[in-house]
Order: sequence, then structure tokens, then C-alpha cells
Amino acid sequence: DRVLHIVPKTFQQVQQVQHLCNTLLLDLWKPLLPEDIWAGEDVHVRVPAPLVQEVKDRLDEHRISYDILKQDVQTLVDQSVPRVGGSSRQGPAGYNYTQYHPMEEIYQWMTQIREGNSELVTQHDLGKTIENRTIYYLQISQPSNKNKKIIWMDCGIHAREWISPAFCQWFVKEILQNYKSDPKISRFLQNLDLYILPVLNVDGYIYSWEKERLWRKNRSPYMNGTCYGTDLNRNFNSSWGTIGVSYNCSSNIFCGSGPESEPETRAVAQFIERRKEDIVCYLTIHSYGQYILTPYGSTTKPPSNNEELLQVAEKAAAALMGKYGTSYKVGSTSSILYNNSGSSRDWAHMIGIPFSYTFELRDKGSYGFVLPEDQIEPTCEETM
Amino acid sequence: IPGVGHKYYLQFTTEDYRSRENVGSCLATVLFEKGNSPPAVTINCADTKDEKQIQEEDNAFYQKLKQQTKPIVANDIPDSYGNIEPAFEPVWALAVVGSSKIMWEKSTENLSYSMAQVKSAKQWIRQDDFIEFDYTVLLHEIPTQEMISCHLRVIWLPGHPLKVKYFCASDNQWFEETSGMESGSAAGILQEKEEN
Repeated sequence: DRVLHIVPKTFQQVQQVQHLCNTLLLDLWKPLLPEDIWAGEDVHVRVPAPLVQEVKDRLDEHRISYDILKQDVQTLVDQSVPRVGGSSRQGPAGYNYTQYHPMEEIYQWMTQIREGNSELVTQHDLGKTIENRTIYYLQISQPSNKNKKIIWMDCGIHAREWISPAFCQWFVKEILQNYKSDPKISRFLQNLDLYILPVLNVDGYIYSWEKERLWRKNRSPYMNGTCYGTDLNRNFNSSWGTIGVSYNCSSNIFCGSGPESEPETRAVAQFIERRKEDIVCYLTIHSYGQYILTPYGSTTKPPSNNEELLQVAEKAAAALMGKYGTSYKVGSTSSILYNNSGSSRDWAHMIGIPFSYTFELRDKGSYGFVLPEDQIEPTCEETM
Repeated sequence: IPGVGHKYYLQFTTEDYRSRENVGSCLATVLFEKGNSPPAVTINCADTKDEKQIQEEDNAFYQKLKQQTKPIVANDIPDSYGNIEPAFEPVWALAVVGSSKIMWEKSTENLSYSMAQVKSAKQWIRQDDFIEFDYTVLLHEIPTQEMISCHLRVIWLPGHPLKVKYFCASDNQWFEETSGMESGSAAGILQEKEEN
């Protein structure tokens, strides 16, 4: 279908255009009625695809000028949004946690965090993405002779959910800035190690910065490079491919060619599998929706420790709400959201990690994936 | 209801799209019958927001837009960082109302939508009093997670029903809708929040 912009110049042309609209029953957008067409005035008419050529021919025949109404927009807004401080790379002291950062800056940030907090933080290579970029996680671990249990948190499994990596970075900052002064945090670190993966889907995240802001999947090529991307959160080996997925690469919930077909999935899965005895809590951060989701998505059958899972989640939601009044809903994905299989959270629970949660951060759809930077701080504060 | 379909009873509050303040509460029933017909809906709402205030806000909006001598043209509202230029807020607001018509028609028992972003907006200056905008909007579809691109044309005058024409990338036909009952209000935009 096309919307044509026609400007009839003479009364005769007006009549010809009116005739065309009436005989072909074209959908006039402007004006609304053929009798309101005037010489020298804009006419916008939608022409169904099969008639486009015919209409063009007729207009040409009568030498009536037209063009295709494109969204020929040029922005009045200066697209270089003033991002003051976003490029200062003086180390964590200069790092702006209330802005979104591209992957390059996040890589640099990790290095600086590691170097500036070497008594506590180590950086590790989890594996490579399909485009051969490195996936790093940070380990925050207070030296002790205790064998500590692990809390794992990954962010950025879905490229467009920018608030998620922003939260992981904020989280690291908060812990490192306050572990000496805040008794809660220092007690935490005495008994637990924190493993934080700021961006899991590195390729996808970069793609959402450079090419398509609302991209979701990874950048794995399929069908001879004519179709890209697997939804990493449908690619884990938890009832893989059974529900809430597509087997078609062009879908945004394409589950891949098999469970763990994607290198990113494998990188996470292999690591967690190896350390599962020590991992007591698996957290994966998404947006949007404002939910704390418990297993499962693939079935409504509740997990064995459902009561406890919900209880803890309810407490978290209440604490969160206490900060700014933001309300989060708590429940299993299959009961309060929709069914889906192959999620990382389901898989983590299935292999034995007792506390496994998906967080869907702000908001509820007003801004959705393009959450304004001025909401980074409150979102992160309340989620902390 | 065996043999007929599914009936839902809803109780929910509505909030202003931008300020998130509570503006009313509603009771509704929605009956999805087997087959693809749109559901039968009964609804009753009690608005807590002041009618007069809504009218004033609408008129202020309208005046701002009418003062334009050059047609407004913009894209990516909000931008990648979530920013909306204050000057473009009413443009965005009008797109939200127009999109809500699309979403009302497209939603099914299994598919829901929210407006993710205005990809482009172009104003058509009219000789009469109406405000007219052409939009490309992206609708986020759940649970497929797809972004549906829709072309939307909105014609508005405060106190009059909003006239909406649209087609979405996946549609094979165009839709035209005039909101019959309520006048489209770009200022008091509502987003339903399900409580039950």
C-alpha cells in the first residue's frame, strides 16, 4: 500500500483525481471527501498495493504530479543529546551511573573497577559471543578462609533492556562504595560472594546502540545470513522449545537451533553448572513490567520450594515499594506473565539452585524499553 | 463458560500516563467468545479527575500546537535514552491516544500491546481548526515480543471525537476509527492498570 501526495493544478486535474478516487474507491486521507479537493491543495490518498501501478499510470497519463508520502522526516531536535560526563573516563570516580553507557565504556569501567578495588574484585572471562567478543563477569569476594556461597546476577540478556546493565553497574558501585561503612553489606560479604555479569548479550547490546534500539536477541546468523538472532532467554535447556517460543528465526522469541545452541548461553550454563553446588541464588535482570518472577515459565506446576520462593520475593517487593512507592508484582512467570520455555531462570532452578528469580525492572509500558535516564537512579535505588 | 468462551471480570484503577496519578476506577466484564470476533465489553468507570481540568489541559495542548506556523516534524520520541523534548510532549501524547485506538482493536485474549516509541511524527497544517498528525509508531506485542510498525493518522479538536486512520505492517487492510462516545483527550491520557 502507498499513500500518495498529489497536488492537482487545474480544475480539470481536480476532476480527474476525483474520478479516480470514486471509481477505484480509494481511501482519501486528505481531504476526507472527493468534493473537497481543490486545485493547488494537498491531496493524500491511500492506494491499495494492487492498484498502485494503475493509479500511477493514470496520473502520469493526465500529467498530474504526485509523490510518495514518505516519513520524510528530519529531526528538529538536536540528536546529540547533551550527555555531559558520559565520556569522562577518569575511573569510577568520574563514571556517571545515571546515564546509559555503550559497551566500550562498560568494558573500560570493568577494568577500572577491578583495578580500583583489587582487594575485593576480580574480573573473569566467561566465554565469547557469536561475534567473538568477550563476556566478562566481576567477582566480589572478601578474602577469608570460609568457603562462601555464591549469589549470581546477570544483566543484559536482552539487548534493548538498557536499564538492566545500568542496574548491574549501579549494584557493583553501591557494594564497593559502602561495604566498609554499611553493616548489612559488610555482613553480606562475610558470608557470600557476589558474581555480577553486567552484559550477557554483548553483541545484541552493541547492536541496539548502533543499529536498532529495540533489538532483543543475540546476533547469531541463520539461514545463510538472511536472518539473525536467537532469544537467549528461550535457549536454555529447561523444557527447551516446548512453549512460548518460535522455531522461526525471524521471530523475536526464536529459541535457537537447539538447547544451548548459542555460545552466550553455553558460556553461562557451563559456568553455573560447574559451580552449582555453591550457588545459592540466581538472579537475572530484565525490563520492563515491574515483576519479581519465580519459576516456572514452562509449566504451572510449582517448584518444590515455592512457598519460600514467594515469601522472599514478597519481602523484596515490599522493601522495594518502601523506597518510592513503586509496585512490583510477585509470582511465577506462567501464572502472572505468560508461558515460555528455555529461560535461564527456569534452568537454574531445575539444576538445583534454590533461589532463582527474574526481575523485570521499571516501568509498566509508558516508556517501556526506552526508560529515561532520570529514572536510572530511582530504579536502581529501589531495587537495591 | 463451557461451550461459549471465557468471561473475565475486571476491577482496575486508571492513572495519568505521565504523572502516574490515580484518575479513576473501573469495573468491567469482557467476554471472549469462540471464534475471532472482538470481545463483548461492558464497562463502568468513575473518574476522579476533574472534567474541567481535563478540558483546560486539552485546550492548553491545543493552543500550543495551533501556534505552530511551521509543521512539526520529529522522530524517535522518546529517543534512545528515554528523553522527550518538552516541545514534543503533546505530539507524543496525541500519538499515545491514537495508538490506544489501534491497540484496542488489535488486542485479543492472547495478545496485548503497549506503545514503545514514536518513530516519526509529521504535522499537516490545516486551514480549519483541526490538528492533524501523521505518525509511524512501534507497538510492543506481548507475548511474541515483536515490535509492530504502524502508520497512524490522527485528526483532533478538543471536544470532538478523535479521528484515527491506521494500518500496521502485518495488516492487509486499513482501519478507520472514530471514537464515538468519548471525546479524545490528549492531556488526560489513561493507562489501565489491572488490579484483578
